[in-house]
Amino acid sequence: MSLSHVVIAPMLVALVTAIVTLLTRSRPTLQGGLSLLGVVGYAVAVAVLVGDVLSETVLTYQLSNWAAPFGITLVADALSAFMLVLAAVVSLAALAFSVIYVNSYGQRVSYHPLFHFMLVGVTGSFLTGDIFNLFVWFEVMLMPSYVFVVFYSGKAHTSAALKYTVLNLIGSAVMLVAIGGLYSTTGTLNMADMTRRLLAAEEYGIDPAPVLGLAALLFAVFALKAGIVPFQFWVPEAYSAAPAPITAVLAGVTKKVGVYAIIRLYFTVFAAATLPEGLGLPGLSGTSFLAFFGPVMFLMALGSIFLGGFGAVSRPDLDGVFAYSSIGQVGFIVLPLAVGATVPAVRSLAIVAALVYSLNHAIAKSLLFLVSGTVDDAVGAITFDDIGGLTGEMPVLSAGFFVGSLALIGIPPLTGFFGKLLVFQVASDATIAGGNGATLALAAALAGAILTIAYLSRAWKEGFWGETTGAVEGATATPGLVAVVVGLATLLVVVGVGFDPVYQVANAAADAALARTDYVRAVGLEVSS
Amino acid sequence: MSDGIQRETTVVAKTVTRIVVPLILVTAIALLLQGHNLPGGGFIAGVLTATAFALTYIIYGLDYIQTELLDRGVDVPDGVPTALARESGTVFGIGLAIAAGGGIAAMVLGYPFLTQAVAFLEHLPVYHELEVASAFVFDLGVYFVVVGGLLTILSVVGAE
Repeated sequence: MSLSHVVIAPMLVALVTAIVTLLTRSRPTLQGGLSLLGVVGYAVAVAVLVGDVLSETVLTYQLSNWAAPFGITLVADALSAFMLVLAAVVSLAALAFSVIYVNSYGQRVSYHPLFHFMLVGVTGSFLTGDIFNLFVWFEVMLMPSYVFVVFYSGKAHTSAALKYTVLNLIGSAVMLVAIGGLYSTTGTLNMADMTRRLLAAEEYGIDPAPVLGLAALLFAVFALKAGIVPFQFWVPEAYSAAPAPITAVLAGVTKKVGVYAIIRLYFTVFAAATLPEGLGLPGLSGTSFLAFFGPVMFLMALGSIFLGGFGAVSRPDLDGVFAYSSIGQVGFIVLPLAVGATVPAVRSLAIVAALVYSLNHAIAKSLLFLVSGTVDDAVGAITFDDIGGLTGEMPVLSAGFFVGSLALIGIPPLTGFFGKLLVFQVASDATIAGGNGATLALAAALAGAILTIAYLSRAWKEGFWGETTGAVEGATATPGLVAVVVGLATLLVVVGVGFDPVYQVANAAADAALARTDYVRAVGLEVSS
Repeated sequence: MSDGIQRETTVVAKTVTRIVVPLILVTAIALLLQGHNLPGGGFIAGVLTATAFALTYIIYGLDYIQTELLDRGVDVPDGVPTALARESGTVFGIGLAIAAGGGIAAMVLGYPFLTQAVAFLEHLPVYHELEVASAFVFDLGVYFVVVGGLLTILSVVGAE
């Protein structure tokens, strides 16, 4: 195992940027510049890491030079790399947007250090190969987000932040309990070691039944972070309260950390375990852990798609529509995972679908939240009562919104088309393979897609077409903000047109997520067969 | 505290504080120095140091800390962070820089991030043998982070 600092580079770049921006608070211009430089450096570090991962499959890094499973391992495989790219793209756009959007007082109040600390947490979560360390990175990621939700310190923001904080603290406590339980049942915290032990559970004297229960408890926490029904209730308020670029990161990246954790832990680690015999729960067949989580995820995905969809149709403002839409779209990400968990034949394709959909949602949804921020900046309002006829006053921004909506709906040649296509393909392939409920998944995806069209065309009709309202009359969008939106819209088109490389990486990521023994061996542990 | 009703603290409290604060600080430093292989460490030492400041703050008031300890003028409470809060934020940042810098130093020497080492200096006068652990650098960073963080909370909450 040769030592490659490339693995830890993105995290260190973000950490150093956070510290440097903290120490240069008294010089705002310098701080903003360093912050931007830092996020560009982050993107470069991620690009180098991705290049190395794609040529060498799995890279590992033992922090403090302690060997696995005793030390903390960082593991960069194609799955982590895919998620890091997503994080880098959204943070780059969000930070460029922030520098113009957030006023100078706001930027001085630790905006930049907190932004980069959040990025440190996100990066750590994607890279860590240690389940307790994952908890730590979740906390690092959440603490700045608490501050961001209360950033504007108004009545609504404080109320949203209180709920968001309390809920996430409860989530963290449950997570800690579940991880402690997993440690006591499996005897390890290292994900690779846990996989290895679960593969030969009898040899290590592990009873799989409590592991399943604890994994289910942990699943609730990840669902909370990802905002999946029935843990979605914090989403709309928190998204409305946080500054627009932060909401873009929360919806685009932080949510995906929950999705990533589900893929990593449930498809790589816990899928290694088998129950001695079925638990006899309704709808549960087979002895794989995934056979249990499949139906659970399926119900949660259905709930998310419909609650998010119907919720978004009736919201009175842009942020509300987008927040509920986020709930619905995460349903679309979990749906193929649920089908893949139940039907092993489509499992790899299911992960590809979830990843591609995540990528599209990350770019498109952060674009839409940035549009909402730009409108708020120019008009001072985002409720449909106050805005209207934006196409006339801000044609370029409206075009950005249009592209983002089409991507979310899934119109070719945008990225979203491939995301939707893959989700439908997973469901139809599963139907052909005779999977239980796959037809229902297909129908739900179709209905969800129609709801997406409904709420986005409503937002378009109410906000961008129609009578030009007094507030919109003569308002001009800040060119810098529009430029960021246009950049993301272009990216949606470019990724859609040149989709093949993205598909290849997503495919490699799905293979990496399922290549259990390779993962264990890469960390330097032996797999007993 | 600078305006309105100002109650004098008793002589007893002031005298006790004068005696106790140095004791707290010495204990804190002792805990910091032995932290890497005995009970103690940067965190607990930082908390102790912050309590020394908190005690001075409660007994002598914010203005005393600002004028006597930081050599700054008295702040007018107008929503702007006080000198104490600004300085504490810097201490916090420096602490982080020390801790992260200690980790990065290992990388410069060709080891993974945060790798620690220990060296023994022998045949010293009085001490005979002294253990020099690189973990102390990390502890020192943690110490400053904790002191800076707690004092920020103290000054911001105290100013309200």
